Amino acid sequence: MNRSRRRNCNTVNAASLARWIVVTAFLALAGLSYVYLTLQLYHLGERRKAIEHELATLRTQNDIASAQIAALTSRSALQRRLKEGYLKMVPISEADIVRLTVPARAADDDAIQPVANPSGAK
Amino acid sequence: MNAKNSRIRCVLVCAAFIGLFSTFSFRLIYLQAIKHDEYAELAAEKHVHKQIIHAERGTILDANNEVLADNIPVKTVVADATLLNDRQATVDLVSSELGIPSAQLAEKLSSERRYIVIKREVPEAQAVALRDKLRAANLRGIYFEHDTTRVYPNGSMLCHVIGFTDFDHHGIQGVEASMEEYLHGQDGFRFIEHNRAGQEIVPYRGLERPARDGYQVHLTIDLSLQNIVENEIDAAMKEYSPQKATIILMRPQTGEILAMANRPDFDLNLRAEAKPEEMKNRAVTDMMEPGSTFKIVAASAALNERKLRPDSVIFCENGLWNFGGAALHDHRAFSYLSVRDILVKSSNIGAAKLALSVGEQRYYEYIRRFGFGERTGIELPGEISGLIRPPQAWSKISITRIPMGHEVGVTPLQMTVAMAAIANGGKLVMPRIIKSITTADGKTISSLSPVVLRQVISPETAKEIGDALRGVVSDQGTAAAAAVPGFTIAGKTGTAQKVDPRGGYEHGKYVVSFAGYLPADHPEFVGLVVLDDAHTSKPELNYGGLIAGPIFSRIAEKAARYLDLEPHEEIRKAIPVERVEKTMPAERIRKPGPAERIALTNASRH
Repeated sequence: MNRSRRRNCNTVNAASLARWIVVTAFLALAGLSYVYLTLQLYHLGERRKAIEHELATLRTQNDIASAQIAALTSRSALQRRLKEGYLKMVPISEADIVRLTVPARAADDDAIQPVANPSGAK
Repeated sequence: MNAKNSRIRCVLVCAAFIGLFSTFSFRLIYLQAIKHDEYAELAAEKHVHKQIIHAERGTILDANNEVLADNIPVKTVVADATLLNDRQATVDLVSSELGIPSAQLAEKLSSERRYIVIKREVPEAQAVALRDKLRAANLRGIYFEHDTTRVYPNGSMLCHVIGFTDFDHHGIQGVEASMEEYLHGQDGFRFIEHNRAGQEIVPYRGLERPARDGYQVHLTIDLSLQNIVENEIDAAMKEYSPQKATIILMRPQTGEILAMANRPDFDLNLRAEAKPEEMKNRAVTDMMEPGSTFKIVAASAALNERKLRPDSVIFCENGLWNFGGAALHDHRAFSYLSVRDILVKSSNIGAAKLALSVGEQRYYEYIRRFGFGERTGIELPGEISGLIRPPQAWSKISITRIPMGHEVGVTPLQMTVAMAAIANGGKLVMPRIIKSITTADGKTISSLSPVVLRQVISPETAKEIGDALRGVVSDQGTAAAAAVPGFTIAGKTGTAQKVDPRGGYEHGKYVVSFAGYLPADHPEFVGLVVLDDAHTSKPELNYGGLIAGPIFSRIAEKAARYLDLEPHEEIRKAIPVERVEKTMPAERIRKPGPAERIALTNASRH
């Protein structure tokens, strides 16, 4: 009986221990994951901010370039360059102009209709 | 007894605890529920900030998508004087980089204010360089705020139509002002939290609303035509040195303004240096006595009322007519003229008799039907309605003076619109400067369609007037110099003595004008040229037909080329076929019919 009791007293409840280990490990993992994910959140936030900044910088550069292109290709700028002699325009002589007859309009409004001079014809 | 006392004590202690915790509970409810919003706001103020996401102002484009107004990013350099760690070094560095006198900057930074604007509109590259230098020198307290500035790539071209914005990016003139609602975007915002170092904690971002950029506004203006007009108006300013000048081109069927130029003008990029007089869009804000161009109203009224026919003959009193106790002169002595010839020869007496034939009230109604005395409704700010008095306010001789364009005040745009009504079969259209409004990615928000206001005169009458106006631009008319080889032009000259602000008219000063359209049969555009107080070598040369007519001719010729208009049939026939074939390279000659063999209108003008 005594021997039996001793054996009983020294018995480790493996199932319970395992359960506690699992629970503790789970909690530890959850805690570590929480810390890791929180750090990741901050890290990704910083990256997001950096990318936003980069995008804003690129957009700014793009806007500046667009404005410069618009300024350099504006009529006033081109005319100034023409006057300064950087550009030269050759007048189209009469012999170089060929006038085509206006094509008959297609009966169907939806039909494809060729346009001879889309920029000039109004 | 003791048991009773102890029970009482227990009850008292319990009551005290209940009272205490009830007080705590009430306080908690008061703070958490009743005062929640107030304290939440206070707490938010401490560490939550509203970050503005800036919207970009929309661009303005011409009919062919050429940029007329754009934005360029810049920085506003500001200082927080409480955070400056080395004031003198900061002053030295910033003043040298931004070109500000160091004494002036030192004075600005001498206060302890937390927001001091050092310089606005600093170019991005300059701001980046300054920021790097401040970091390298470990200087704190200088910040760079995002901003944009409006740039106008074409400088002074179309300055009165485009207008400009103020510091806060609100349009204050031109299309910038009238289309403010569409051009001005809507700033977005984002609630953010800062850490102790003042840096944003990105995961704690709160409510966010993205910015909506302003819409793109497309004008009806064609910059190529505008360029033609600007060059000609500059040439006219050089040649005649007028006080003011205005030229308008308009498509009569739709009311689209194709070009609009005024002088004096100013550079939109240097608007701070412009004088108020240079900023006026005189096409809509100034009125003038139109002179003989106004005779189209009297002739239209008389013909439309069927009082007279185009070939009806009227006695023109041999150049001098006493009416109502005042003498009315013609520039030449005319005896009998048909209604058509009254316009061709521009007889004042004839025009007065045309108006008399319809009567004061009906004539006044026709003036109003042509759109005079009311705003045209164009999308430009500051438009005036002109000055047309009702018949009750007319003097005895007004009926003879108004037909020749005196005693009335009209804007150049009103005159153009009236001429467009003749060109458009009698239909009065509303002039438009806005073609469409789109998003930045091209989605159409609004597209404006032509608005026909009313049928002013019948199509038949419009045709009769048009036929008469063709005669004006002929050898017999007053504007032979307005002709364009290859095209039939209809138009009317105007020469009005300048009104003296002190009363009466200024001697030797005239407002000369020409309003016409091309081609006369199927008008593609209506044009008006007005020069105020042009200077000529001889006074007898100061006439609309001799000054404004040739300007119109040059513009019309170039515009016809640009618009690829086919020359008139009669000119084709006038050019020998052999000549055309000789000048064309053999490989380009097909086998065309006679009508196809044409030379364009670059024949020299005679």
